[in-house]
Amino acid sequence: MEDLDIELSKITVSKPKVQENEVVPDKNAPNSYKSNNAKEIEVLNYAENFRRQFVHLYRDRKPLFLAPPNEFSIEKLVCTTLRPTLLPYKELYDWDGASQFVSDYLSYVPLECPNELPESLFSPTEVLRRQKGNCFDFSNLLCSLLLGAGYDAYCVCGYATKEVTLMDQSRSQCPLLKKKDTVLKEEGKAKENKYDVKPPRDLRSKYLIKMEERTVKERQDEEQRVKDAELARIAELEKPAPDELYGMRVHCWVLVLAGKREVPENFFIEPTTGNCVEADEYLGIETLWNNTNYWVNMQDCSHGIGEMSYDLGDIARWEFMFPHNDKPLLMLPGEEEYDMPLDEEEDEVEEDSDMPGSWVNEITIPLEDLQRRCPQGKRTILYKQAKYEIFAEYLMQDGMVSRLTEYADSALTQPVKSMEWFKHRVDKLETRETDLVTNKVTETYGAGRQRALRQHIYYSNQTGSEATRIMEFDGSARTDGLKAREETPAKLTEHYCDRDDCLTKRLVNYTKRVKKFGPAEGNEKPVNQVTEFYSRDPSIPADDDIAELTFLLNEEKIFIKHHLQDQRIIASTHEYLKPQQSEDKGQVQITTDMVSSFQVERRAKNPKLMHIYQTIMSLIEKEERCIENVRISEQEVRDVLEQRTQEELTTELSVSIYDTARNDTAKKRREEIERKKRDDEARREEMELDYLAPFLARIGDPAQMTAELAQQLKEDCLEDLKQRLIDMANLIQGRFEKETQQLQWKQNWYQQNQTTMTKEEEEEYVSYCSEAMFRIHILEERLNRHKELAPQKYVALESRLRGDNRLAEFLN
Amino acid sequence: MNRLYDTVEPTVIDEDLLKQCIEEQGTASEAGRIAKKEGLDFSEVESLRLDFKNILKIDNLWFFTNLVKLNLDNNIIEKIQNLDSLIHLEWLDLSFNNIEKIEGLEKLTKLKDLTLYNNQITVLENMDKLVNLHVFSIGNNNLSQIDNVVYLRRFRELSCLNVAGNPFAEGDYKSYVVAHLPSITYLDFRLVSGHMREEAITQYQDAIDVIEHNERDDQKKQEKEISRIAEEKELREAFVDGLMGGQLFDDLFLEDVDGPKLNQLPQMIEAYELYKSKFCKICEELVTFGLKEAQNRARERSLFQSAVNKAKEADKVQGVAGINEFLAYKKKVLTELGQVSDARVIDAKISELQEELNTVWDTLMGYELQLAEQLEEVNKDFERTMSDMSGTFTEIVQNYFTQCRELELMHHDKLTETALLIMEKVVKNELEEELPEDLRLLFVDKDTITNAVNTSHDLHNQRIDNKEDDIVTRVGNSKESYNARISEGEVQRNRHRVAEINHFLENIRDELEQYENLDR
Repeated sequence: MEDLDIELSKITVSKPKVQENEVVPDKNAPNSYKSNNAKEIEVLNYAENFRRQFVHLYRDRKPLFLAPPNEFSIEKLVCTTLRPTLLPYKELYDWDGASQFVSDYLSYVPLECPNELPESLFSPTEVLRRQKGNCFDFSNLLCSLLLGAGYDAYCVCGYATKEVTLMDQSRSQCPLLKKKDTVLKEEGKAKENKYDVKPPRDLRSKYLIKMEERTVKERQDEEQRVKDAELARIAELEKPAPDELYGMRVHCWVLVLAGKREVPENFFIEPTTGNCVEADEYLGIETLWNNTNYWVNMQDCSHGIGEMSYDLGDIARWEFMFPHNDKPLLMLPGEEEYDMPLDEEEDEVEEDSDMPGSWVNEITIPLEDLQRRCPQGKRTILYKQAKYEIFAEYLMQDGMVSRLTEYADSALTQPVKSMEWFKHRVDKLETRETDLVTNKVTETYGAGRQRALRQHIYYSNQTGSEATRIMEFDGSARTDGLKAREETPAKLTEHYCDRDDCLTKRLVNYTKRVKKFGPAEGNEKPVNQVTEFYSRDPSIPADDDIAELTFLLNEEKIFIKHHLQDQRIIASTHEYLKPQQSEDKGQVQITTDMVSSFQVERRAKNPKLMHIYQTIMSLIEKEERCIENVRISEQEVRDVLEQRTQEELTTELSVSIYDTARNDTAKKRREEIERKKRDDEARREEMELDYLAPFLARIGDPAQMTAELAQQLKEDCLEDLKQRLIDMANLIQGRFEKETQQLQWKQNWYQQNQTTMTKEEEEEYVSYCSEAMFRIHILEERLNRHKELAPQKYVALESRLRGDNRLAEFLN
Repeated sequence: MNRLYDTVEPTVIDEDLLKQCIEEQGTASEAGRIAKKEGLDFSEVESLRLDFKNILKIDNLWFFTNLVKLNLDNNIIEKIQNLDSLIHLEWLDLSFNNIEKIEGLEKLTKLKDLTLYNNQITVLENMDKLVNLHVFSIGNNNLSQIDNVVYLRRFRELSCLNVAGNPFAEGDYKSYVVAHLPSITYLDFRLVSGHMREEAITQYQDAIDVIEHNERDDQKKQEKEISRIAEEKELREAFVDGLMGGQLFDDLFLEDVDGPKLNQLPQMIEAYELYKSKFCKICEELVTFGLKEAQNRARERSLFQSAVNKAKEADKVQGVAGINEFLAYKKKVLTELGQVSDARVIDAKISELQEELNTVWDTLMGYELQLAEQLEEVNKDFERTMSDMSGTFTEIVQNYFTQCRELELMHHDKLTETALLIMEKVVKNELEEELPEDLRLLFVDKDTITNAVNTSHDLHNQRIDNKEDDIVTRVGNSKESYNARISEGEVQRNRHRVAEINHFLENIRDELEQYENLDR
């Protein structure tokens, strides 16, 4: 009877598919995909029963999305289609990462019929394989991942706006552009001190102040009104066209309830975009389910779902299908007889027995796919006046991973600003922000770049090293403590930090370059004035500690301003005239009127000539050093720019040594090692030649071994070895004798000709003798060793022959 | 120069010699020329060489207060003296002289490098103050006791030592020295290797252990002493010193002769103990209260100070802004003046500037006046609070002392009663046990015993009164002096600022006048 039922239901429900025919379901899918087991059938019957009762009770409700056919046209309960899986990637452990992945990885196909439920629901594995799906497929996959990661997640079937169902985000602002609410922290008000001085009395007219305030306020109000009106006008213009299917467009998304994984409150995830969404995007909820149960909404959604309660244990609001429920129950009095396990443990046991396990295989995502993210590694999202492009890592030549372009108009024709993100670049470039209106480019770099450059702001329409630009550095990583360098054609400002000489800022003023023909390299920008600012050095009295040091190069003057003393408001200043350099160096005329100063300390006596001389000399030296530093800075700017151009021409991407797939050198090495291993193996195989083979061949490779043959073989073999050993010994002996003979001969010859010999000949003879003696000695040694080892070798071969499995049975 | 070497007559350090040396040792360049022309103050000299001068006596060096380096080597000096004014000296060379005793170095606390090579010194001593000593050369002397080297342990910074050529350094002295002076890196111009140090330390392990143990003990004692002094100081500042742990109670009986004896009477012992414990308890309460009150005072002071600092800071910011604004204006006008040649325009500009100068003066003085008024008000507030606080404090202290006096009175009554009872018994010869000899002398007749008891009581009262007076006067004085200091400081500050402003503006006025004169 039951079988018949199933047969019938199959016939009625599964219509021939019109679409999706081009993709054939995975042939290798296990049996669970292609049939239902007994338990599943039981549950399906139970569900069917539930559906019938529901239809009977609520005739005007839409049909439930309960047991759609899968890719093999087998009816499966939606709860069992969820396959909670925890993947071994930390990016997917949190909900935002997982939802972003799902939205990036799959391409979205809107529902065939926007106001009808889909005819089938594929398994998450099939969806991953096809890399595309409708909102139900998206939710199904995402919910599986979230459940696996421990979230209290549910698939929600309901209704949404046209924009949501079509994944049309061109009306919403790009989330990257949303201004973060900068909550200005109220500075903890300084505690009232009863000794605080009273402010001076305000002697202005109160009336006038009030009048002024009023006019200001009026003006502000007027402005605000105009602004509001403008905003309202824009909003009116941007209002979407009325949708005739409003409220009937079916959609599926994911609900995450608070409680698990430290989620503080309930929220929705739109799986198609991967964003956390406000409740007003959705218009109504029919049902929701997870891998344990199925709930039907009994609340009124005519005013949106903002006010809805997600207390799933409340049977007045949520009708559930399976009587077990891990939600706290709100039972109506008098319904106690309803069979409802209250005990938690019992509950779990029941769960196992009631709901069959998922028929879907465990979800697997290869690391490559995870890294490639989007189909073909690219994805483009259109937002309101913005375009967002995502690229897989290592896909783009220049290492770009995403790009956000802002436009002035909704038709996306006039780009105004673009932001690019990079990864794995050797030059450590991380982001580049280009203002297409002002041509301002802001590049940021990661830590560890040469010269500790962190940010570079320049104008792409101004080229050359003398354009306006700002470079920011990591001051703590540089020996000179440079923090930032700002440049305009006429000015150069450098900021420093943590320097031993307390220098904090250097300001250089240039004058216009005198036009001059000749080699360009000597043509440095003429410096007009340099001012250095120093912070207070506590080891020197304030009156001697320089705060500002100005070199007026054109006027041949040096101006010093000292730090303020405690409780002083006026600083001491000195102005030095640079002495005229006379012909022979060292002869400088110093006079007391070369310095004019203001000393705060009235009693300070006039400095001695010696002191003036020393100060002027040190200042001149300082000036030289300062100018030198300025030139070094200019050179550095040129170097950086040159390097940047070079880098932009040939962008290189760095590969982590742990990235086995992309690291070419590592790959090569690995292959090399493998090759070597193979070679070694081959060689070893060669080495293990059969020592019996020649003997066997001699007797004609008998198929059957007999004791006689074995004995003969053994003897032959041993005989052969013996012969070889003897040959070897003979050989060594022969060589030994030959050497000895030769030596003897030579000695004789020497004794005969000793008197008539030249010195060279004698030396030659001596060296020959020592060499020959050495050779003889070696041969002797070898012979001895051979004699020693030969019996051992013989014994070893014998035992090996005994152990040989071809002869063993006959010899023992 | 030759004269110096040939003569046997010792040279005296006099002005001519010093001048000559300085000139010779100065730079030969332009700086030297200027210095020669202008003359150089002895107090500016940082380095002086007086070697090979046949000097017998160190003298006349007190002008050189900034001297850092002094060479007196290769002379015939016999005694280290007259170096006390050279407090900045870091480098002193006295090698190749005839010195027999180390002395006269107490004031040279900055000394880092001391060379006494080739003298006749017999003992290392009198160098306790040279805590910064890095390099010490005492080679070729008459040191005979090797254990004298231990004296150098106190110099924690000492890294180079030269002792070769002394009588004790004939045998294997190196390991002894290395073992006993852990900070030494170079001994007799040779690097001390780690291996050598290890060996030396194992060789003299026991001796070093003893020394280190003693040093640790000394250090602990010192620390204890320091903390005791700090505690004492804290109590003193809280005006409740000499009260802890029954100090005042012990003081009561300091001059009292008969009191302790009487209190040793078996009938009195219990009462005496009770009295003591009660008295001490009151004293302790007083101390706790005093410390708490001192904290309150400190808090109040810091509150006041922070408020004043805040006001001053705000004023300073204002003033600096005003000055900078004016200076910028002045610079602008002066550059404009440089481009104009019309005399009338120049005059107009200068008078404009002078006008501005007056306005600035008004503004700055206005700020100052305002600050002075504000501070005066606050100062008054603070003074009032402080006198209130000290008033209450005095009252409560007096209260505690009244309690003390009451206790004393009670005890006195008890003592009188007991004494009279015993007297009666003595008279009637009913006393069971024998009285000690000295007590029996008191119990001769009624007057004697009453007198003795009363004298004791009076003495105690006097002590208590003294202590009370002491505290009360000190509280008053401290308050007065603090307040005086504050108002003094404020007056000083005010005058300083006014002088500063006037000085600055005068300076500018002079400058302007010069400009005017220049134009005419």
